[in-house]
Amino acid sequence: MEFKYIAVLVGLVLLVFLLYKEIRRANRARLMWRILVNIIAVSCFVLLIVPIRYETHLKQNPDEIILFTDGTNPDSVSKLKGKKYALPSVDLKNEKAAILSDLSYFLKSNPNIRKLAIYGYGLNAPELEQLKGYQINFHPSPNPNGIIAANWPAKLKTTELLQVQGTYQNSGDESVKLFLKGLGKTVDSTVIEAKSNKAFSFKTAPKQTGKAVYELISLQKKDTLAKDPVPVQVGDQAPMKVLILASFPDFEYKFLKNWLYENQYPLAFRSQISKNKYAFNFLNLDSVNLNQINTSSLKKFDIMIIDEEELSAISPGEKSSINMAVNNGMGLLIKVAGSKALTTLSGKSNRYEVPLKGKTLNLILAEDHFKFNPLPLEQALFLKTKQNEQSVIIEASGKTIVNSTINGYGKILVSTLSSTYNWLLSGQKNDYATYWSKLLANTARKRHDIQSVNIIPQFPVVNQKTRIIADLATSDKVPTLKIDSFLLSPRQNMELPFQWDAFYWPKKSGWTNLQVNQTIESIYIYGKADWQALKNQEKLDGTHQFIKKLNTTEAKNKLADIVLEKEVSLWWFFAGFLLAAAFLWYEARILAVK
Amino acid sequence: MLKTEGQNWIRNLKTRWISFYLIGTLAIAFGIALLLSVTGFYLLHLPAWIFAIIFTIVAAILLFSKPVWKITDFDVSRFLNNRYPELEESADLLLQNETELSMLQQLQRNKIENIIPNLSQPKEPVKRLYFGLSILVMALMISFGITKIPQISKTDSVAEETKNPVPAIKENIPAEISTFSATIIPPAYTRKGERKQKQFTIAAETGASINWKIETNIGIKKLRLIFNDKEIVPLKALNAAHTQWTFSKTINKSGFYQLDLDDKKSDLYQIEVIPDLPVTIKITQPKQHTTIDIGQPQKFNLHVSFTDDYGINDAFISATMASGKGEGVSFTEKKLPFNANFDNKRNLTLSKLIDLKSLGMKPGDELYFFIKAMDNHGQSSRSDVYFVSIVDTTELMSLAGMTNGVNLVPEYFRSERQIIIDTEKLLKEQSTLPAATFKTRSNDLGIDQKLLRLRYGQFLGEENETEIGGDHDDHDEHAEHKIEGEKFGDVSAIMDKYAHKHDIAEDATFFEPEMKAQLKAVLTEMWNAELRLRTHKPQEALPYEYKALRLLKDLQQKSRAYVAKTTVKVSALKPEKRLSGELDKITQPVQKMSFEQKEKRTASLKAALALLESRKTGKKFSGQDQFLLSETEKYMIGAAADHPSTYLNALTRLRRLGAANKPMLKEIDLVQQAIQKMINVELAKPQIQSAGPASALYQNYFNNLNKTNR
Repeated sequence: MEFKYIAVLVGLVLLVFLLYKEIRRANRARLMWRILVNIIAVSCFVLLIVPIRYETHLKQNPDEIILFTDGTNPDSVSKLKGKKYALPSVDLKNEKAAILSDLSYFLKSNPNIRKLAIYGYGLNAPELEQLKGYQINFHPSPNPNGIIAANWPAKLKTTELLQVQGTYQNSGDESVKLFLKGLGKTVDSTVIEAKSNKAFSFKTAPKQTGKAVYELISLQKKDTLAKDPVPVQVGDQAPMKVLILASFPDFEYKFLKNWLYENQYPLAFRSQISKNKYAFNFLNLDSVNLNQINTSSLKKFDIMIIDEEELSAISPGEKSSINMAVNNGMGLLIKVAGSKALTTLSGKSNRYEVPLKGKTLNLILAEDHFKFNPLPLEQALFLKTKQNEQSVIIEASGKTIVNSTINGYGKILVSTLSSTYNWLLSGQKNDYATYWSKLLANTARKRHDIQSVNIIPQFPVVNQKTRIIADLATSDKVPTLKIDSFLLSPRQNMELPFQWDAFYWPKKSGWTNLQVNQTIESIYIYGKADWQALKNQEKLDGTHQFIKKLNTTEAKNKLADIVLEKEVSLWWFFAGFLLAAAFLWYEARILAVK
Repeated sequence: MLKTEGQNWIRNLKTRWISFYLIGTLAIAFGIALLLSVTGFYLLHLPAWIFAIIFTIVAAILLFSKPVWKITDFDVSRFLNNRYPELEESADLLLQNETELSMLQQLQRNKIENIIPNLSQPKEPVKRLYFGLSILVMALMISFGITKIPQISKTDSVAEETKNPVPAIKENIPAEISTFSATIIPPAYTRKGERKQKQFTIAAETGASINWKIETNIGIKKLRLIFNDKEIVPLKALNAAHTQWTFSKTINKSGFYQLDLDDKKSDLYQIEVIPDLPVTIKITQPKQHTTIDIGQPQKFNLHVSFTDDYGINDAFISATMASGKGEGVSFTEKKLPFNANFDNKRNLTLSKLIDLKSLGMKPGDELYFFIKAMDNHGQSSRSDVYFVSIVDTTELMSLAGMTNGVNLVPEYFRSERQIIIDTEKLLKEQSTLPAATFKTRSNDLGIDQKLLRLRYGQFLGEENETEIGGDHDDHDEHAEHKIEGEKFGDVSAIMDKYAHKHDIAEDATFFEPEMKAQLKAVLTEMWNAELRLRTHKPQEALPYEYKALRLLKDLQQKSRAYVAKTTVKVSALKPEKRLSGELDKITQPVQKMSFEQKEKRTASLKAALALLESRKTGKKFSGQDQFLLSETEKYMIGAAADHPSTYLNALTRLRRLGAANKPMLKEIDLVQQAIQKMINVELAKPQIQSAGPASALYQNYFNNLNKTNR
């Protein structure tokens, strides 16, 4: 600051001195010129030292760019004027546009760009993050055709059904056939009519043990529109341990016992034969002392099946240890027969008696409306479902037969159905298996995984940044994350110390082994072309969302005040000074001598 | 030359005549020959060159029958003289030498010579030509039609063939085999002739013997057939050069086989056995349970239809008669033949009148019968068992049911029986009674029957006297009565106004709906009986009365649980001693078992599925994988031996897969499909649900939540 004024003062003094010398010169030719040139020379000199800065208001046009993203229709953008840029993945045919390999770098290096016109499906979330503060005009392409949402369980247990659900967007004029193909044959299919959005749900029982890639194929007449992989893993796991306490032996228990035994489930069965005398069965299991039920013996079991009479007959100490075990995660299935509750544990759900018309009982699974074959029973006892209870099995008219409550960590199921073995007797093994599988799976103690792995994005793609998040049971040690024997460096989550994440750029598509500590998990890396419609739709939605947010908050006021400070190039002053000095020299030496 | 002008004209006419005539004749000959040869070629399947022979023969016959080339100029001039009067019969002058003519002739000739060129050309030769051509066209059209006949008959035969298609499977035949044939000789019961095929894939009837004849183009040391991958049979060479081989075998089971030419194995070929099904028997009459009431003829008609795929050999009725009751039931068995000639027919409908009396059946007896049929292969089949029973009236009349146990509605039952007794008595006395008395007594019985009916009607809640089960529409009456006697503040009266009360509620709902229906049926029978009695026809009324009684008996039996008397004496219980026994010496039974899954088939098949899936992505089989594949192959051989048509193809592909370097997607798909078929439907099994890793943080969170709840 001070230097600036000093320079100006010195310049002025110099100018006065020079002017004085010029005026006082004997040869008075071209006096006006010389004065003028002197002024120019000195002022240029001063300005060389003190540069001129000025402020400019940003004009609209020069700093708007047009950005083409995936899905841009080359024909529709050919008439646009302005600077055109395109992402490398865009196919523009004859349209000329500069290729932007790194958008954020480009924007950083061209700070004058404040406005973007985006054509096509838009950008993905990390790219949009870079565009905060910019004004964006989005010209979206029409909605993509294809599967725009899809979900399925990546891991299944043996005999579980694979359910693939999603939405297909068909804006074309012709209907599209959608197939789920796997293990060599088409397992399910549906037709999506022209100009419609349709949710689909495919179900199949994968028969393999291990990994398999199903495919969702969309077919229009004979053209395959898309072939999207649906990777699925099916694995075996240790069976649940079952404890049955019966007040008296009956057929229901006998059949259940045999069924569990043949399916290799560890089972302990105790039934009372006289006062304090029991008959024991230890099937697929080492014998345990079950004369007295206590917490430690219950710890070994995942689920306990008991009838209400037995539950009321056991000692209060045993009851409380059962309650405690349930609190800690064990499942409890209570079979009730009377309309009055005998114990507090079984009395949580209210019961009522209504004789049903007809001599058969039609049961329905509440969750997925699976209909069982009718049972030749006259059921009269039903349950009232309270707010914190969930119906598991209902009768055809909606009355609850089995319901479940949460008790601490565990679950209590109450069932009023007394004989399901009729299914087995009449050869409907499937119904029996479905019924008991549902009940036992619903009730049994949940098994905690050693770890769980999450991948972001949903469909990791080759050569794309992929975030691997691992949840571990313990947080005290840094886990070793290896992918294809490539060691990753995990980073701990600040808030959740047991969560670690790492970044990786997959190198090849297909199944990849991810090793977390000692266990190996398989993750599937997709090809670039897989699930294209879904990704495009995500981009489209994301960009729309982003712009909506942007417009409401800050974009407008920012637009008016974009002011830039600019410096006039020093070369101008140098040139001026040089020319002025040259004139003075030339005038003094040559013109004045003549 | 002027003088030859007439001659020329005549000559021209002659040549035209001849040539047109020839063309026409040839056209006719062509047409006829075409017709004949097309018929011969398409319908009689004669060779094509027959046409040439037929044509020459026909043409020769036609030409020699009318030798047109023999026409001379004079013939033409004669024709001209006839045709054209202008020539004044002097056309032949033109043909004679001018110098030889007389003056007058000359003059005449000159005159004609001027006329002749102006004459119109005669139409006869053209007509002949057109005639010939039209015949040719007709022949062409007809022969075109004939060519279509075989196609029509072919479509008929094609339609027939599709009904029992011969599996035309493309087979890979080893290069060493020049010709081969398989002769299938179906067993005698099928009554089919032997057939020969040039295909290794065989579909044969059970018990058919198959005779392979294989000829190789080079000498082979040994040729073997391998059945189902385990049974190896060497073939015998027929000649010293070891090029002709033969083998025959009787096939009883489906499976597959392959050729082994000097340890070089061929593809797998399937053998499918067409089983002989047993006779299906369908009884259309009588119903499965038939009761013959009193008064009905004690016989029934039996209608049966049989069907079999090759022929029915024999059929008979096996009847068992049960007579007596309680412990004295005796059974007699009888074989009743059908009086029919079976003659190995495929379809047969038979009917037979069975007279129960001639079988020696009495009232109260029951007949159980079924029909047994044998087909010509010796397989037998039998129908369901059918029941025919004759109602025993004496049983109905007995009081056995009444004497013991609870009796809900005793008097009414007695009454119906009383009516029957009275009716029978009346009928016995009919001859001694005067007609008027008979009628009055019959009428009286009718009245009794009516009263009885009305009493039963009460059970059904019937109020009206006249109707049975009829509706009542006197609801309004109730209301009216009530209005009259209404009192202020009478709660029950007000209630009654809104309630619909007929009877005591229990009366109306005393019986189950099923019982009510039967009661109604009883009433109908009673009504019928009453009608006959009132019209003085007690004989006709009797069956209805019996039926009513039988139904009532049934009702009576239904409403009670009947246990015959026993003589057991029970010592008195001492309640203070109950459940007080010493149990300390009783050991608790403990049973320990562990289920061992011996069968690893499903598990290894499932693993193989995943292995093939990974092979799709190009992963190579390791040693362990190869073991798994061979295991799978073993299972598939077993499956293919039972169902060759389903699994044989997959088995071939599986073998190819194991050896191939590249993943073959189509083959893998096929094998995977087959494996999935081999794995039976899996029933759901309870599976433990998994939760996220148990972190201490979650546990704390849960505990704190629990605390705040309390």
